[in-house]
Amino acid sequence: MLVIFLLIFVSLTLATVFLCCFFWAVKAGQFEDTCTPSMRILSEEEPISTNQTPERNT
Amino acid sequence: MDSVLDKRLPEPGLTRAVAGLSRVLGGGSDTVEHAAACYHCGEPCRETQLVEDQKSFCCQGCLFVHDLLKENGMEQFYGLSRHPGVKVKAPKRGNDWAYLDDPEIQNRLLDFSDGRTNRITFHVPGIHCVACVWLLENLFRLLPGIGKSEVNFPRRELSVRYEAQGIRLSQLVGLLVSIGYEPELNYARLDKPPARATHKRAWLQIGVAGFAFGNIMLFSLPAYLGMDKFSGPAFKTLFGYLGLVLAAPVLIYSAADYWRAAGLALRSRILTLEVPIALGLFALYSRSLFEVIWGRGEGYADSLAGLVFLLLCGRAFQQVTHERLAFDRDYKSFFPLSIKRLEERGERNVALSSLEVGDRVVVRNGELIPADSRLVSGCGLIDYSFVTGESEPVEKNPGDYLYAGGQQIGSRIEIQTVKPVSQSYLTSLWNHDAFAKKKREDLNTLTNRYSRRFTKIVIGIAITSALFWMLRGDASRGFKAFTSVLIVACPCALALAAPFALGTAQRALGKKQVYLKNIFVLERLAEVNAIVFDKTGTLTCSQGLEVRFEPGRFGQQCLSTDERAWVCALAAQSTHPHSRQIATALSNPTKAPAEIRDFAEVPGGGLKGRIAGHLVQLGSRTWLERLGIHVDPHQLSQGSTSFVAIDGKPRGAFVFSNALRPQTEEAFADLGGRYELSLLSGDNERERSRFLALFGKGARLHFNQGPLEKLAFIQKLQEGGKRVMMVGDGLNDSGALRQSDVGVAVVERTGVFSPASDIILEAGNVARLEQILRFARSSTRVVRASFGISALYNAAGISIAAAGILSPLICAVLMPLSSLTVLLFGCGMTTWAAKRAGLTPATPS
Amino acid sequence: MSADSATMGGITLGRERGRASAAIETFKYDNHIVRAFAIATVIWGFVGTAAGLLIACQLFWPQLNLDTPFATFGRIRPLHTNAVIFAFVGNGMFCGIYYSLQRLCKARMFSDALSWINFWGWQAIIVSAAITLPLGLTTSKEYAELEWPIDIAIAVIWVAFTINLLGTIVKRREKHMYVAIWFYISTAITVALLHIVNSLEIPAGAFKSYSIYAGVQDALVQWWYGHNAVAFFLTTPYLGLMYYFLPKAANRPVFSYRLSIIHFWGLIFIYIWAGPHHLLYTALPDWAQSLGMVFSVMLVAPSWGGMLNGLLTLRGAWDKVREEPMLKFMVVAVTAYGMATLEGPTLAIKSVNALSHYTDWTIAHVHTGALGWNGFLTFSMLYWLFPRLYNTRLWSTKLANYHFWIGLLGMMFYVIPMYTSGITQGLMWKQFNKDGFLQYPNFLETTIRLIPMYELRAIGGSLYITGIVLMMINLYRTAKAGRFIGDQEASAPSLRAVASSESPRLGHRWLEGVPVTFTVLAAFAVLVGGLIEIIPMFLIKENVPTIASVKPYTPLEVLGRDIYIREGCVGCHSQMIRPFRSETERYGEYSKVGEFVYDHPFLWGSKRTGPDLHRIGGKYPDAWHYNHLENPRSTSPGSIMPNYPWLLSQKLDTTVVVDRMRALRKVGVPYTDEQIRDSAKSTAAQSSKVVANLAVGSVTNAPADREIVAVIAYLQRLGTDIKAMPATNTLASAQSTN
Repeated sequence: MLVIFLLIFVSLTLATVFLCCFFWAVKAGQFEDTCTPSMRILSEEEPISTNQTPERNT
Repeated sequence: MDSVLDKRLPEPGLTRAVAGLSRVLGGGSDTVEHAAACYHCGEPCRETQLVEDQKSFCCQGCLFVHDLLKENGMEQFYGLSRHPGVKVKAPKRGNDWAYLDDPEIQNRLLDFSDGRTNRITFHVPGIHCVACVWLLENLFRLLPGIGKSEVNFPRRELSVRYEAQGIRLSQLVGLLVSIGYEPELNYARLDKPPARATHKRAWLQIGVAGFAFGNIMLFSLPAYLGMDKFSGPAFKTLFGYLGLVLAAPVLIYSAADYWRAAGLALRSRILTLEVPIALGLFALYSRSLFEVIWGRGEGYADSLAGLVFLLLCGRAFQQVTHERLAFDRDYKSFFPLSIKRLEERGERNVALSSLEVGDRVVVRNGELIPADSRLVSGCGLIDYSFVTGESEPVEKNPGDYLYAGGQQIGSRIEIQTVKPVSQSYLTSLWNHDAFAKKKREDLNTLTNRYSRRFTKIVIGIAITSALFWMLRGDASRGFKAFTSVLIVACPCALALAAPFALGTAQRALGKKQVYLKNIFVLERLAEVNAIVFDKTGTLTCSQGLEVRFEPGRFGQQCLSTDERAWVCALAAQSTHPHSRQIATALSNPTKAPAEIRDFAEVPGGGLKGRIAGHLVQLGSRTWLERLGIHVDPHQLSQGSTSFVAIDGKPRGAFVFSNALRPQTEEAFADLGGRYELSLLSGDNERERSRFLALFGKGARLHFNQGPLEKLAFIQKLQEGGKRVMMVGDGLNDSGALRQSDVGVAVVERTGVFSPASDIILEAGNVARLEQILRFARSSTRVVRASFGISALYNAAGISIAAAGILSPLICAVLMPLSSLTVLLFGCGMTTWAAKRAGLTPATPS
Repeated sequence: MSADSATMGGITLGRERGRASAAIETFKYDNHIVRAFAIATVIWGFVGTAAGLLIACQLFWPQLNLDTPFATFGRIRPLHTNAVIFAFVGNGMFCGIYYSLQRLCKARMFSDALSWINFWGWQAIIVSAAITLPLGLTTSKEYAELEWPIDIAIAVIWVAFTINLLGTIVKRREKHMYVAIWFYISTAITVALLHIVNSLEIPAGAFKSYSIYAGVQDALVQWWYGHNAVAFFLTTPYLGLMYYFLPKAANRPVFSYRLSIIHFWGLIFIYIWAGPHHLLYTALPDWAQSLGMVFSVMLVAPSWGGMLNGLLTLRGAWDKVREEPMLKFMVVAVTAYGMATLEGPTLAIKSVNALSHYTDWTIAHVHTGALGWNGFLTFSMLYWLFPRLYNTRLWSTKLANYHFWIGLLGMMFYVIPMYTSGITQGLMWKQFNKDGFLQYPNFLETTIRLIPMYELRAIGGSLYITGIVLMMINLYRTAKAGRFIGDQEASAPSLRAVASSESPRLGHRWLEGVPVTFTVLAAFAVLVGGLIEIIPMFLIKENVPTIASVKPYTPLEVLGRDIYIREGCVGCHSQMIRPFRSETERYGEYSKVGEFVYDHPFLWGSKRTGPDLHRIGGKYPDAWHYNHLENPRSTSPGSIMPNYPWLLSQKLDTTVVVDRMRALRKVGVPYTDEQIRDSAKSTAAQSSKVVANLAVGSVTNAPADREIVAVIAYLQRLGTDIKAMPATNTLASAQSTN
């Protein structure tokens, strides 16, 4: 029977755990702008991109 | 230093001076084909085409930015998307931004500042692609002292951190302008921006509910799937309690808003939908408590969590935010942040806020009159189209009274303010009580009207069934029945009907550049039965007068090609809008511009000059007649005109009139039947006949209407029991837009200034109004239908519940099922309706 | 003055670099480690698939094991699975993470040392696996076959990787954590936990150990692991990679970033619960099974969210797809993901599972995932990476296109025959004739029917491998053509400077704390997810009917069982008869929980290439087994089972038996001291009995000290215990299990 109490305890921690990290993410504004990050990743320095520039545009 | 700067500054004429770069001037070069797309901004390279290592540029500005990026090794900018740049407007003069360094102003502009770092957020309409994001987030490469800069694309916002000592704000803004991203700096910027609703709390509530829902379901599923066969009652009770524990935060935190709303509703004696919801939630939880604690069953925790989760999802879905747009702009966003004040030491840029009555202010071509004032010197030609609706620029002479908001066209003038900014004729409009009271839009909605009846019925049934069983002496069953009814009647589906149907509708419209403030606008839109139009800028294009030449009647023939060229050349010399119109109308690229001798422009009169030995005169009738040239009086009747005389002989007149927006006629043909149409124009009567034709018989056309008169007119209609939709664009319509049931602001481009309104409409859609209204009606019909569906479910549920035989399983199935049906029906039907109304987006770009 | 001087500033900075302000930091991305993993990926990809091809051929050409133990199906199959999952996909995953993470965080990896420890450690583990598995050193738990010393190594290396990952995130220069990063974190944490929980075992010698769990519990833990290995090793990291490389390759942002975030939270939550569906209709409690089923079905939503998000990203870019092979690969990969994630839950539905389980359908399912999702996504990534690592263009797009089409054809030739054979066999097993007898009472009939499919499958496999070879050439020439950029310059404003200057609440302390917190939390989450499923089983242990007549194995049987494990018999033979008439008719009384209480590890198996063996005991005379193992075709003409001649020749090592019994006692098998002391004696006695039986079966001169004797002893013991018990007892246990 002891295990059941352990079970309760742990499952509640699970709940709080998920909430905690969700709360952090929201509070820290991680999900504030759900558009720009996806654009941002397209433009990191890659040596090749400068090489390709002329081809891409003409 | 300054020499470098001279070379760098994109000033026309200095083109050749730019050192070290091979350039070809003019389109004549063989290296590039004519009118190639600018490598930087993609606009066709017209007059002066600049070429640098096989890339052509439309203007010095673009070339300048390109060089700047190149020198800082940031060429990948051009790899990110095609012609990513923004065309750089004619550069501001050096000291334009100096006023920003004034500490008092800075304090009001900066988001954050400790001694070392400042952070400021700009609204930059120019942001449009991945490359922009990249460039603006790499500002630190261009100017030492700039730290992290972040773009928020949906809001077109840029927030920059920079070293307080390292650089001045004016520098920062200067840099942004010089690379084509001019931040929007207007008068409104000075008052702290309203804290934007970042729906953090809403998301957290959903998170809690969703999580609890998931877990509780995990614990209740075994119960439903016959867990006990294997592992006995131990788990059953355990899971029951777990459910209660997990449901508690949902009840307290996630559903908080519903409790509050319900309380509010009861206090104000209105049965809004929140009331039955709150009742249902309460019943759910108390019933579960009872069952679990007395070991009568698993309880309804899962239904509770699921219900709240769904409700919150619906709420989230209905919050369609068009983040780029502001629906609550007032004149302040239209007025500039700074003006040029004339002081002993010459003109100086100062903040509009520091403008006082009696100050001398300089207003240049295209600049705004900041406050009611008198013209001191220079010849005023004020375009009031946006503030009063007069389509024609008005000529003003020294001593004349100038209303705030007018736009000076042509030469530089000096004015002296006679009223503070806020007390000016136009801006005082905002002191009207129409703006004072704030509308509570979400109160008298379809949903609430429906729920009033609904709630009464439900409570009625609950009590009767309870009594029924009690009288039968089965109290516990009575309690069961009572709670059960409240539980199954908890109007989840009902609450979801409007959000999902109308939310979908709002999205569909948004794809067509019809932006609604919120979903409630749709409901009001469906009830509109009178439409009031503004003329200038709404029905007619705000800029772009049509110009046509009419030869006078006594035997004057049209202009010959040569003559046309002469008039064109003459007109090209002036900044007067009419002259510009004529010049563009007559311009002919193949002919080299003729050369003009002794050119003269008479302010308020006209132009004259000698071309190829001929005296060409172009101007107002009075002026010509003063010169003894008698024109055909008949031609005065229609529109505004400017007359041409060659070698002293009258030749005819150029007639100007505002161009109607495309397909306006067809649109009115559709609208005419159903709605009561009226026109309120700040303009004069000149075009009455034309619009009478458009509006048809019996339509009310009112001209020379001031802002307050417009507002009053709307009120009158409303008192006449009309649901009024006001369609306007200008500041002078603000009152009317505010007063009307549905205010529609027409804009040429999304993102530019528009007065406060419920709907922001791209100009192209004015012709679509009928479609939009029809769609609004059909989508509200969908909502009503959804009510029907949820009612059916409720009936089914209640009949089970009243019998007192409701089980958690039934509840757990019934509730999501009903919600799901309503959800799918709502979204599906609305999308279909959108298709039928021809509002399906062509291709999402 | 100011506007000009601003632009001025820009230019002067441009002229003389490096005079940037304090907030700006310059750093270098580490491409060496990326290249290392990339190369490893390619090589192991070839090895793994080649191993697969070998065993695929053995299924229609048994002699291909050349009568050597080291090339025999039972030992090579785990090699194949491990090589593909941990060597090919593992390295691919590291490669992609090490590349994308640095760029997403705008920071070099936390520690180069850790990076290289991760690399060489991982390769060492793979090599040791490639050595030990053919030697028959295995725990026989699927995807966790490696023995305890290697298990420990894996744990250590994985921790190193995790630290490196989190460290990098902490020192990142980009405030927002791109969704891919969340996927990576969840991978690192979960896999570590899964691995540790599942590999809890008691050593019995340098390369032998026994799982601490027994029977049903072991099964539950194993499939909780097995499922999540798929979820968090083959799926989440690759989803992260998809969210990074797909937009990059298409040069357009992901269709809906918001959706991708929901996708993440949805997956990490639900996956944990979905384990038990691997054990439907086994001796697992109903509700645990149903739970697994429900959650698997619920999984479709987030998975398809992800797939659609991926595909919709390409809307309006299909012209690009036509040109760029890497996009083609990507499209097929994502589609395959969608199909697999729809199929998985379908298989988890009890009624479907009743048909599909133990058949080639499962094989088809996993290969849709492995060949399509993981394989093609890896190829796509490699084709995209190499030109960038070497700052050049791909040597031959044409060749890459050939690779794509050949590979796709290969997949078709693999998957379709497997579905056919799976369904065919499933139906044949269940087929009754009108008199109510099994239509195909002889299992062999159902096997022989499949051989053409197996041959087709081999063709598919060879095509797929051909594709890989083409890729090897292409990538090699690309590398030759370009110049490798080992450390890539980059610069970005420091996040700390900003954060610290900003409001302290979200100061950098916080930001640092985050990944760590998340880690701890996620760790908890996964742990709990497991516990909620597993712990009930321990509870249930109390009401698991310990059937009185079920006794521990004798020393000889223990040795025999260990050989059974060593030869990987469990790869083709299940020991779990499901409560269907079709199975009880064919194999006998269905399996009860109580029968497995002494099975460390459990040997239920997941595939029936051969018949179930749980009730094999006493079915055939010892001599039959002797001849059958020497050459299966001598007793069962047409059998595709390999010969095991070495069992007849190799001497049985009885010296280890004491250690093993001690180890087993540690994990709960009640051996008395006497039993352990007299183990040698009892062994001798029992083996001589076997020899006697063999003689009866006219197998004379069979020496008593050969391995075959132990194996026969074990086989004859299998499932016989409950036959000795009173009927009432049976009923009781029957109720309690179903």
